[in-house]
Amino acid sequence: MNTDTLIDQLAGDVPRVPRRARLYRLGGGIVAGAIVTLMAVTLGLGVRPDLAIAMHGFAFWMKWIYTISLGIGSLAVTAQLARPEAPRLRRFWPLVIPFLLLGAVGAVEMAHVPTADWLAMWLGKSWKICPWLVLVLAAPIFVGLLWSFRRLAPTRLRAAGAAAGFTAAAWAATLYCLHCPEVSAMFVLTWYTLGMMLAACVGALCGPRLLRW
Amino acid sequence: MRVSEDQLRAWMTGGLDGDAVAHAALLKALVPILRAFYRRRLSDSGEIEDLVQETLIAVHTRRASYDRDRPFTAWLFSVARYKMIDSFRRERRHCNIEGLDEIFGTEGFEEASNARVDVDRLLDGLPAKQAGAIRKTRLDGLSTAEAADAAGISESDVKISVHRGLKALAARIRGEGR
Repeated sequence: MNTDTLIDQLAGDVPRVPRRARLYRLGGGIVAGAIVTLMAVTLGLGVRPDLAIAMHGFAFWMKWIYTISLGIGSLAVTAQLARPEAPRLRRFWPLVIPFLLLGAVGAVEMAHVPTADWLAMWLGKSWKICPWLVLVLAAPIFVGLLWSFRRLAPTRLRAAGAAAGFTAAAWAATLYCLHCPEVSAMFVLTWYTLGMMLAACVGALCGPRLLRW
Repeated sequence: MRVSEDQLRAWMTGGLDGDAVAHAALLKALVPILRAFYRRRLSDSGEIEDLVQETLIAVHTRRASYDRDRPFTAWLFSVARYKMIDSFRRERRHCNIEGLDEIFGTEGFEEASNARVDVDRLLDGLPAKQAGAIRKTRLDGLSTAEAADAAGISESDVKISVHRGLKALAARIRGEGR
């Protein structure tokens, strides 16, 4: 096609793009996917029966603050990788804070529990299934993010895929908290994080294929 | 005649606000810039024109990824470079496997990658501005003007950064040799 014709065609369709379009777009993808994930948690797994009581307790909020802070931080990284310019990722070092904080809580927790109970506390009742559920629940949100990326311009596809996978899993884990009855910090630090890492690996593996443009 | 960063950015912002005239002016002004960008790196004129068009389409469909507070040309050249790399990747996929020996043999892949590692290590020791200027003008093949646009600094600033950076590198290499 002639380049001038192409320009005329493109210039015929110029919708307004709001100032924070990148974040809106990513947020929209996450929310759309999260609705599906939320339905899977409430209808498929079932909300934990003691949710109203648990919401007054420490463990629930510890989990939520952990997953939500990772969700916000990794979204910021994903947004950075959705721009074509070389990313400046060094300023995202605060992302390690949630890990360190939860590790500290875990250490205090273990200090108050006899050594004999450490393993039970660490494995909980659902360690075998928890990472996999986080991974599966992340899938709809990851698909939502793939939709977001259709108007964005990632140039490091592997990194962008990994960031999107981690972000999706962090928000999936946030919703999974509505079901999961586990209370120990070491449990969350190990098995929730493992689920997020798995999702990041899947994202890194299929990023170059799915995010190409 | 090259259109200034400020003018391009004004058109881009206008287009983002829904001004179709500004958007058309932007795309028209980008054609010679992109042609020059690709011509400096490729020789096949059909391939160059394809890439120019693909980049225009990407500029149009992916404009939500542009941040109004940042330099426009840096964004543009990042998109252009990605499109070029992507087209290389696509072609390699269709590359005849019988020719691979020659490609690997002639490219001196190992020496090139070792050299690259050394260069990266050396550049890491420099201030970010100097390292960036050297990387852009001497390694990525950008012109001084492009590098200046991309970093959002003046051309003379780029030249000075390159000069000082290279001088510091030379001093360091002499030091390492000892």
